[in-house]
Amino acid sequence: MNLNKIISLFVLCIFFGTYANAQISPGELCKAHEHLEGASNCTQCHAFANKVTREKCLDCHKEIQANINANKGYHASSEVKGKNCAACHNDHHGKNFQVIKFNKKTFDHAKAGFVLKGKHAKQECKACHKPEFIKDPKYKKKLTTYLGLNQTCLSCHDDYHQGKLSSKCTECHNFDSWKNAERFDHSKTKFPLLGKHIKVACVDCHKVEIINGKKAQKFTGLNFTNCTPCHKDVHDNKLGQNCKKCHTEESFHFNKSMKAFDHDKTDFKLVGKHKLVDCKQCHKGELTAPIKHNQCQSCHKDYHKGDFTKKGVTPDCDQCHTNDGFIPSTFTIEKHNKTKFKLEDAHLASSCMACHKKDNKNWSFKNMGTKCVDCHKNEHKGFIQEKFYPNEECTACHNAKNWKEIKFDHNKTGFKLEGEHAKTACGECHYGKNELGVRTQKFQNLSQECSSCHKDSHVGQFEVNGKTDCTRCHGFDKWENSKYDHNTSRFKIDGKHIGVKCEECHKPVMNEKGKYIEYKFDDISCARCHK
Amino acid sequence: MTKGLHRTSIVLYFIIILASMVLLAYYGQSYYRLPISERPFHPNYELFKPSGLLGHGLGIIGTLIILIGLFGYMARKRMKIFARVGVLKYWLEFHIFLCTLGTVFVLFHTTFKFGGIISVGFWSLTIVWVSGVIGRFLYLQIPHTIEGRELTLNELKQRRDTLNEELQNKYNINFAEIKTSRFSQIKLKLLSNHILNEEFSKIKRLIRKEKILTTRINNLDRVKRLFNYWHVAHLPFALIMLIIMLIHVGVVLYFGYKWIF
Repeated sequence: MNLNKIISLFVLCIFFGTYANAQISPGELCKAHEHLEGASNCTQCHAFANKVTREKCLDCHKEIQANINANKGYHASSEVKGKNCAACHNDHHGKNFQVIKFNKKTFDHAKAGFVLKGKHAKQECKACHKPEFIKDPKYKKKLTTYLGLNQTCLSCHDDYHQGKLSSKCTECHNFDSWKNAERFDHSKTKFPLLGKHIKVACVDCHKVEIINGKKAQKFTGLNFTNCTPCHKDVHDNKLGQNCKKCHTEESFHFNKSMKAFDHDKTDFKLVGKHKLVDCKQCHKGELTAPIKHNQCQSCHKDYHKGDFTKKGVTPDCDQCHTNDGFIPSTFTIEKHNKTKFKLEDAHLASSCMACHKKDNKNWSFKNMGTKCVDCHKNEHKGFIQEKFYPNEECTACHNAKNWKEIKFDHNKTGFKLEGEHAKTACGECHYGKNELGVRTQKFQNLSQECSSCHKDSHVGQFEVNGKTDCTRCHGFDKWENSKYDHNTSRFKIDGKHIGVKCEECHKPVMNEKGKYIEYKFDDISCARCHK
Repeated sequence: MTKGLHRTSIVLYFIIILASMVLLAYYGQSYYRLPISERPFHPNYELFKPSGLLGHGLGIIGTLIILIGLFGYMARKRMKIFARVGVLKYWLEFHIFLCTLGTVFVLFHTTFKFGGIISVGFWSLTIVWVSGVIGRFLYLQIPHTIEGRELTLNELKQRRDTLNEELQNKYNINFAEIKTSRFSQIKLKLLSNHILNEEFSKIKRLIRKEKILTTRINNLDRVKRLFNYWHVAHLPFALIMLIIMLIHVGVVLYFGYKWIF
């Protein structure tokens, strides 16, 4: 083989080799460096006898150099500063080689000058390192860059407060949650939170509203001069606008001073006895808890236990009572007279209790009845035959004016009252003491014999067949008005005897029968009387 | 060199090459199997990368081994002062050993990354190596004296005639029989001629030797022609390889990659 052949072959090989890959390169450069491909570009990165130098890299990567100079970012950290770029950023490993590659999970972001705390630490890198958050147009187009962000919150986060609060979010928020502005000290505001306000969720006062077409909570321009901008005035402005007069921040249900509270400004004016009642008597729970007050029964128990309930409806107390007390009642006689039982005569003078609180314990108004015996005891039961007062109707004899005023047709009994009998009180004949000495009635089985009532003061002098008939001598007018005709006796009155007083002859005697006037003489001789 | 020592050296060459391959492949497999773009993130990147401690070392040592193998053999073969140093056949074997081992080292130095102008160098090396293997086969087809001198056609024919005579006279086996018959048929004939079993293997060897010799005599022209062509491949590619390697080394040194130095 001659030398020409060898040289031709060699040139051929060089040609093909060069054609295949026209570079003295250990491999393709990555996309970012592809403009540096070609043998003429080696020295762009590689320095004579000094491999790849940091200076060569930073000549191109001016942004990194600027950061290092400004002592900003990861490349200015002690871990990287002064280090050869190629120690981390290799190349010649193909077009798709990731020049920037690191363990995203273990990367200490603090070394980049921004400590990832709270939620930041849980985010993917791309959540922040994305073109939308990059302001500098130099970096905006670089999809994979980690440069170009600044550390202000609003460079990544939307300003929820729309410029109305400080742009330094961390003055109020921490990195764990937007919702809890834990760093915010409300006590430094013009409205320090006290009492229950401390526990209230922010959104309860700082309402979410639409500002500039976006949802936002209102934190500025809130009116807090009084409570009503936030709290509904449950009193409908009846009690004025200064809630603090009565309430504290601790609770609306707690009144700091009742003195300031004017109950009369409520729908329920305190009148009469209500003024004296302790609040808790009516307001069992919270003082401001609404209570029914339209009817007395809302608070008061139906003392009458449904006595007035008709068809399920109980009239309210104010029908009969006032706020000044349950007694006296405003139930007048006129009102009573509209009931089934009109009050008349003695009933007008009777106290209510006499009928409606007979046991002196419980009032009773229901099913009272209208008959006398419904209230009055029938004293005559068993003593007077019912035929004389059917259905125990007292009015057969009595009236409402006076018990003692008896109106009875005694003729019905078969014993006509005449004379003094007609004037005599019933009790004279119908009441008497029994054998035990107890006063008792006697209406039945009374004999019409005079002696059944009257004592025979003549000690049987006029007895005929064992009976003394008084009417033989006496009428019903007066005992004295004797209808005795002395001439019917053995001793005719005549002569001087006429006009002589009876006692001139009939003298009282005293013997074993007792003291009596002797009318019957065995001896009717003159000597009997005359000497 | 005794036959035993020669055989030992061959085995040793083989073991060294195989062991180098196995060890490098075993310890570097996790790195070498990675896609190129992933390799920089391998924990041993700094060790295995072409410019790394091991990678770069393999390149330098492999190159030196190849250069020794190449120039040593060339010197022995072409320079008169070394013409008497050792037997050429052993030099060739040593040349093959060193160049194969060097190629293995260089292969691992490339980390199986074949691109750029250096790839031309590497593929040249590959061609040189493959052609070396083929050349070794062709070389065997051309009978040489123990000193390495090629035998002429006449010398070969004379050797074959000597063999044929021995077979004809001793065992009554003629040239035609060897060419046409199977050994089993020849065996039957030998048995009928009361030839002892012990001599069968010797006869068999003589027959094979005769056959090989006949084949080589018949192919000598063609093989010699092929061997000429082989030189076109082996030597120029070795040259290309050397030049590119020099460029590669030059560039690398220019940019300051000096391995441990």
